Amino acid sequence: MQSLFFLMLIAYGLGALAAVMGGGTAIGRWLVALGAVVGAGAGLALGATVIITGTSFALSVPELLPLGDGLALRLDALGAFFLVVIGVGAIPAALYGAGYTAAYNDGRASLPLLGAMFNLFLLTMSLVTLADNVLTFLLMWEGMSLASYFLVITESGEERVRNAGLWYIAMTHAGFAALVAMFLLLSGGELTASFVNMRSTSAFLGPLTRDAIFLLALFGFGVKAGIVPLHIWLPMAHPVAPSHVSALMSGVMIKMGIYGLMRVALDLLGGGPVWWGGVVLSLGAVSALLGVLYALMEHDLKRLLAYHSVENIGIILIGIGAGLVFHSYGLMTLAALGFIGGLYHTINHASFKGLLFLGAGSVLHATHTRNMEEMGGLIKKMPWTALFFLIGSAAISALPPLNGFASEWLVFQALLGGFNIPVPEVAVLMPIAVGMLALTSGLAAACFVKAFGITFLALPRSHEAEHAHESSLSMRIGMGILALACVGLGLAPFVVVPAIGGVLNGLGGLPDTRQTFTFNLSVQSPSGFGQMSPTLVMLGLLMLLALVPLAMWILRVNRRLRVSDSWGCGRAGQTARMEYTATSFAEPLRRVFAELYRPTKVLTVEFHPDSKYFVRSIAYKSEIAPLFERLLYDPLLRLVQFAARQVRHLQAGSLHLYLVYVTVILLILLLAARWF
Amino acid sequence: MLFSKILRTGLATEPLGDSSDKFIELVRKTEAEIQRHLGRALAIREVDAGSCNGCEIEISGLTGPVYDSERFGIHFVASPRHADMLLVTGPVTRNMEVPLLKTYDATPAPKLVVAVGDCAKHCGVFKGSYAIIGSVDQVIPVDVFVLGCPPEPTDILNGILAALDRRPHKK
Repeated sequence: MQSLFFLMLIAYGLGALAAVMGGGTAIGRWLVALGAVVGAGAGLALGATVIITGTSFALSVPELLPLGDGLALRLDALGAFFLVVIGVGAIPAALYGAGYTAAYNDGRASLPLLGAMFNLFLLTMSLVTLADNVLTFLLMWEGMSLASYFLVITESGEERVRNAGLWYIAMTHAGFAALVAMFLLLSGGELTASFVNMRSTSAFLGPLTRDAIFLLALFGFGVKAGIVPLHIWLPMAHPVAPSHVSALMSGVMIKMGIYGLMRVALDLLGGGPVWWGGVVLSLGAVSALLGVLYALMEHDLKRLLAYHSVENIGIILIGIGAGLVFHSYGLMTLAALGFIGGLYHTINHASFKGLLFLGAGSVLHATHTRNMEEMGGLIKKMPWTALFFLIGSAAISALPPLNGFASEWLVFQALLGGFNIPVPEVAVLMPIAVGMLALTSGLAAACFVKAFGITFLALPRSHEAEHAHESSLSMRIGMGILALACVGLGLAPFVVVPAIGGVLNGLGGLPDTRQTFTFNLSVQSPSGFGQMSPTLVMLGLLMLLALVPLAMWILRVNRRLRVSDSWGCGRAGQTARMEYTATSFAEPLRRVFAELYRPTKVLTVEFHPDSKYFVRSIAYKSEIAPLFERLLYDPLLRLVQFAARQVRHLQAGSLHLYLVYVTVILLILLLAARWF
Repeated sequence: MLFSKILRTGLATEPLGDSSDKFIELVRKTEAEIQRHLGRALAIREVDAGSCNGCEIEISGLTGPVYDSERFGIHFVASPRHADMLLVTGPVTRNMEVPLLKTYDATPAPKLVVAVGDCAKHCGVFKGSYAIIGSVDQVIPVDVFVLGCPPEPTDILNGILAALDRRPHKK
C-alpha cells in the first residue's frame, strides 16, 4: 500500500512539474493528463485495497511539519471510499482535459498554471481523505480550496470569471473559519490533536459544546457541499471553470463537504441528538427541491448542471440525515441503510454529473456558447456526445437500470423506515421528506428532457450549432468511461452496497451490515417490504426490446418507409425559430411555482411612427427573482461594506495620525505589560 | 329551477322529417362499412383550400346534433398525420396550393380524398379568377367528387361511402 501511496504522490508531482516545464505543448498536455491519471489510478487502487482488505493504511512524517505531530496520514475505510470517488471522477476528467485544454492555446489562459493547479488540486483533495490530525486536515483543505480557486479563474481575462472566483474564495474562507473554530472546540484548543485522541475525548465534551461543534461543522462543510442557502457560489464558479474542472468540482470536490460532515458528526463525535439528523434531513430536502427548481429555469447548460449539483447534494444529505436520526434512536440497521443510500448516491453523482459536465464541455467546445437557446440538432453533428449525455441524463433522472435509480431507491427505503420511530416530529418529517424527494426526482426528469431535447434534438438554432463538430478522441474516451461507470454502478448494487456496508462497519457504533444486505442480484431493505433488482430490471427491459419486432411480425405491421417533411401545419417554410425553446418548455412550471420564482416580464414594442398597426421591433424580457441573493446576501454585503467604511476613517492617509496611533498602542502595551 | 328551465326552453333538436328513414338506413350502412374497412372510426382531416365556407357549414352540420357523425364512427381530427381521409372544399387558391400539397404528403397511406362542392370540381363562380390555381384534382389526386352548392350532409355522407369502397381491402 505504501508503494501505491508514493506512486500517487509522485505521479501528481510529476504531472504538475510537466505542466510548469511545457504545459503549452501537446506533449506537455498529455504528460499533465498522464500524471493525473496515474495518480488518481493509484489513489483508486489504494482506496479499493483498504476497503477490500479492511486494514487501514498509516504514514507519519513528523519531520515534514515541525509543529506538533507533523504530517499525520491515515487512510481508514471512510476516507478510502472518498479516495475511490476521487479516482472515479478524476481519471476520465484528466483524459478529457488532455484534448479539451488544447483550445486554451489561443492565449485565453495559461496552460502551465492550469495543468499544475489541476494536479495540485487532485493531490491536496486526495490528502484530505488521508489526513489524521487537525493541522494536516486544515492545510490540505485550504490547499484544495486555493488550487480550485486558481482553476475557477483560468479565464481570468473576463470580469465575470474574476467575480465568480471572488464569490467562491470568500464563501469558502467563511467556511474555513468555521472549520478552524470547530476543530479548536473539538480538540480543546490544540490544532495538532490527532483524530484518534479526539474520538476518545469528544464523549466528555458538554452537550452545548457538541452542539456548537456540529453547527460549525455543518456550516463549514455545508459551504463546500453547497447546501441551500450556502449554495450561492456553485452556479457562479462551476460554469466559468474549464469543463473538466467543473466535472471534478461538481462531481468530486463538493463531496469533500459530505466527507467532512460524516467524519466529524458520525466518526469524531459519534453521533448526536435527534435534531442533528433532523436539521441535516430538512436542509437536504430543501436543497434538493430548490436546486432542481432553479435548475429548471436555467438556460445556461453549465449553470443548469451546477444547480443540479445542489439538488443531488440535497439527496445525499437526506440519506445521511435519515441515518443520523435513526442512529440517535439506536436503530442501527436502518441508520446504516440511510448512510449507505447517501454514500452510494455520492459515488453515483460523481459519475453522472462528471459525465454531464464533460458532455456540456464538448457542446461548449463545439458551439462556443453555453446558452441552450442557441443550440439544437447537435445529435446529428456529435452523435457520441449526444449518446453519452443521454446516458448521463437518464442516470441523473433516476431511471432504472442506471445508477441514480439504485441509490435514490435506497434513500427512499431508509425514509420509509421512519414509521419505526413513534415520535410525532420524526413521523411527520420523514413522510414530508419522502414527498419532497419524489417531487425532486420528477422535476429532475423534466429538467433533463429539456436539457437533452433543446440541446441535441430538432433543428440547429444558430450558425454555430449548425457547424458544430464531434469532440476529439481523448474527450470521447473520458466521457465513455464515465458512461460505463453509470451503467456498471447501476447494474451492480449487489457489489456496491455490501462494500459501502463494510466502509461504515464500526463507524460511530454502526453494525456490520455486509450480512444484512447480501444480495443475489437484488437488494432487500431490512424492514423487508422493499426489494429491487436493477440487474433483473435490465434483463426485463432487454426482453421487452426483443418483443417489439416479434409483436410487429405477429401484427404484420407494414414497414415500408416513406420519408416526408415534419408536419408544420402546412406552412411553406419551417425554420428553427418555430421550435419549442427551453423557456417555453419551462413556462408551465414557472407558472406553477410563481410564488417562488416571482417572475417579471417586460414587453417593449416599437411602433412605426405613422401607424400603430405596423410594428418595428418587439423585445421581450423575462427573468426570475434571485431570492437568496436579494434576501440574504445583499443585506450581508451591505453590512460588510458599511463596517469597512467605518474602519476606513482610521486610515486617513496622514503620517502624523499614524504616528499618534503607534504611540498610543505602544503606551497601551507598556501599561498592559506593567499591570498584568 | 331546473324544471322551469326545461319547461320554458323549446325543443333544441327537431326530428329529421320525411327523409328520416332513408337517412337512418344510410347511417347504418356507413357504420357497417367503416367497421368492415377499418375496424375503428374513420379519421377525417378537413382542408379548406379556398371555399366560401358554405361547404364548411354543411360539413359542420354533419357533426352537429341532428346527424352527430361521431356516434357512427366519423371522427374529425386536427392533423393529417392522424387522418385516413382528406375532405377538401373550394377551388384551390394560390395561397393554399402548397399547404394542400403538404397536407396530402403528410397523410399516411392508404389515403382517400373527397372533394366537396361544385367549386372543388369546376371552380364555381370563382372560375377564371387570378387568385385561383384551379380545381382540386389539378393539385392532388381525388377519389370522389361530391357535387352541390353546397351539398347536403347526406350527400357528403354518400361521397364518403363511395370513397371507402375505393380503399384497398384488408387482406
